[in-house]
Amino acid sequence: MIASIQNKFKNFLSLKNVAIAFLVIYFAIFMVYPISKAFIGSFYDWNPLIDQFNFVGLNNFKEVIGDGLFWNSIKNTLLFTSFSVSFRLVIGLGLAMLLHSKLAKYKSFFNGMFYMPTITPLVAVSFVWMWMFNPQFGLINNIFHLDINWLNDPKYALPAITIMTIWKDFGYATVIFLAGLMGLPKDVYEAADVDGASGFKKFTNITLPLLKPTTIFILITSLISYLQAYVQILIMTEGGPGTSTYVISYLIFDEAFVKYNFGTASAMSMILFVIIAILTAIMFKVTEERKITP
Amino acid sequence: MTKIKTTLFNVILFILAIITVIPFVWMLISSFAPNSEIVKIGGSFWPGQFTLNNYVNIQENFNFMRMFANSLFIAVTTTVIIIYTSALIGFVFAKFKFKGNNLLFSIVLSTMMIPWAVTIIPKYEMMMDFGWLNTYTSLIVPSMISAFGIFMFRQSISQISDEMLEAARVDGASDWFIFHKIILPMSRNTISSLAIFQFLWSWEDFLWPYLMINDQSKQLLPVGLRLFNGQYGTDYGGLFAATSISIIPVIIIYLIFQKQFIAGIQSGTGK
Repeated sequence: MIASIQNKFKNFLSLKNVAIAFLVIYFAIFMVYPISKAFIGSFYDWNPLIDQFNFVGLNNFKEVIGDGLFWNSIKNTLLFTSFSVSFRLVIGLGLAMLLHSKLAKYKSFFNGMFYMPTITPLVAVSFVWMWMFNPQFGLINNIFHLDINWLNDPKYALPAITIMTIWKDFGYATVIFLAGLMGLPKDVYEAADVDGASGFKKFTNITLPLLKPTTIFILITSLISYLQAYVQILIMTEGGPGTSTYVISYLIFDEAFVKYNFGTASAMSMILFVIIAILTAIMFKVTEERKITP
Repeated sequence: MTKIKTTLFNVILFILAIITVIPFVWMLISSFAPNSEIVKIGGSFWPGQFTLNNYVNIQENFNFMRMFANSLFIAVTTTVIIIYTSALIGFVFAKFKFKGNNLLFSIVLSTMMIPWAVTIIPKYEMMMDFGWLNTYTSLIVPSMISAFGIFMFRQSISQISDEMLEAARVDGASDWFIFHKIILPMSRNTISSLAIFQFLWSWEDFLWPYLMINDQSKQLLPVGLRLFNGQYGTDYGGLFAATSISIIPVIIIYLIFQKQFIAGIQSGTGK
């Protein structure tokens, strides 16, 4: 009798039960509840400082859609994201190919060097590049003999932040591509060598198709993270000069934690969520449909 | 001929590597230079004189090492917790059959798509209601689970053979025993790569500590860097020194786990 109760208790505390219970309760509190609250809150005039929570229907959304700054931020976000994602992929793959080559020596040394920007805190990196871009004593203008006031010129501020982001992040793509390359089957390449395929042929006909899962992984994770990037903006330009570097997540940060318009900020975050969901779905669709014939 | 080719190839790699790390080198060198040298217009890469004052000043004026220690504590704690919970939950998703396994896993995965902007406002209010503002509870408790970590562990643990686990079960080993004595030791590669990723993410997290912590003595390093820049905006040497120090722990974590890092990514993302 006692043994069977003990057994039941042991069963109740089995690894599976504990893990699932923990996961479900944790997600309910820190995911499901906040998401629901944000969704509901986007229909309310919501300010926690003065305890305000009044239903306003679709007003927040109307306000956001009628706001020129919002559309400007969307445009900047899309520009920033598309350049950062493409360069991250291309540089990442290029360097991974170089590092994977038989000719490369001291691989772990080079790995470490290329990975260094990626393992550096973004806030720190943002400060480093503020000095790099400094018009008086910055390294960029000095080296290339330029006279550009990078971060204070509306034309150059967003490109400057994009350059910095690409530099910071290409290492992530490099290691993941490298891991992918190291996992490719060797016999396929040997067969291609026997057939006398050129290096370029092997790259387009074997390497690229086989790296597809890796590429999709990097593409999707990059897309999601760049669509909500804001730290480098907050540190380097605070959206300026003017509104030239406002991106949507910075706008949300500004609306929520500077102006305390939680309702409007929630409405914006819902729109951002929809944008991310749609773009991710499109990426999955596009990469799936492109049939690969070796 | 091949020798020349190899040398040339590696020289090119080396040049690319130098271009990559040049901002760090510049920062490190300048952190030992007096401010007058740093802001000298048309100055050279190599400063005319060296000093340790920048490092001394950030500690004396700003108690910088206090924030460094705070950050280290938070980053190590959350990284250890997340590695453990990710392995545990990943193990369940990989090796246990139960109703809703795939559905629950897809839900976990899809949360990676939810922008921080959606959940951060209600979470902020929640922390206010719990009375956790300005405590480290607010930094640790809401970040004990990582969808990314669960994903990596599920992928790698599902490659461990069922027969071995079954044999252990037949010998009377409990699931907890199997988890601690077989699964965790066999997941060294995944642990290493998650440790590198997660430590960096905790170490560089800006917004959450910025919102939660008010006392400067409790503040974490990334927020501290910004506060420093706000208070001593023209003290470039100090900022260079502070930034240089803030990079060190992540590099150490990387060097410790580097060997298993790529293998971990391979088993975590490949399939």
